[in-house]
Amino acid sequence: MATRTDNQIRELNPEEWAQRVDEQARKYLGMSGEEFERRLRAGEIDIDDSPAVTRLAMMLPPNGTRK
Amino acid sequence: MAPGSRTPAEAIEHYRGRTARLLACLTGEYVVVSAYHAADPPHQLELLDLAKLRAPHPLRLSVGEHYEAREDADGWRVEVVGYNYAIEHDGRDLVSYHWHPEGESPITWPHMHVGTDTHVGERWFGKVHLPTGVVGLERVVALAITELGAKPLRDDWERLIAEAADR
Repeated sequence: MATRTDNQIRELNPEEWAQRVDEQARKYLGMSGEEFERRLRAGEIDIDDSPAVTRLAMMLPPNGTRK
Repeated sequence: MAPGSRTPAEAIEHYRGRTARLLACLTGEYVVVSAYHAADPPHQLELLDLAKLRAPHPLRLSVGEHYEAREDADGWRVEVVGYNYAIEHDGRDLVSYHWHPEGESPITWPHMHVGTDTHVGERWFGKVHLPTGVVGLERVVALAITELGAKPLRDDWERLIAEAADR
């Protein structure tokens, strides 16, 4: 039956967000979040290599910095 | 168009709630957001993980958005400034809509990819960037329900899609 429930929203601080990127990178790509970010920034990984890569790339801070 | 908000924080809260309700049409998965007060914009909103859709075939949804609060003559509004919307079928990419104007990719315009085994010469067509306009999340939700057979989890899904399109 259709309902009207809303999805719960979790706000993550920058440390929690980085931890999430790390968990997802290990789960879907078998590498740490740090390694993924380094290899993506270095051009060793193409954002279009796979759906998982695109998803992980979009999880990184868009401006490349964290406060 | 709905009126703008009085503050950036109010606009962001409205955006988060509206997007979570829209996603609740398809999945009960958590929505995660970056703490906007702790980082420079653009900010981020995503589904926690790939979300399995209720459908007669194995569909999964991935959603990520980058957004900013901007002020116009009518108040503060949130504008989506980048996204990744993808639908998988049976573990493979079926269709994905991308817009990543920032970052390392030279492809800065909105585009889509289709899941296919087709090659054009040596080029795998699945990696070809098919140009699009900016696609709203509500169109992807509508696509999943009306074209791909995903069952809506809310009975007001058509109203929510119309509201999102009007923002």
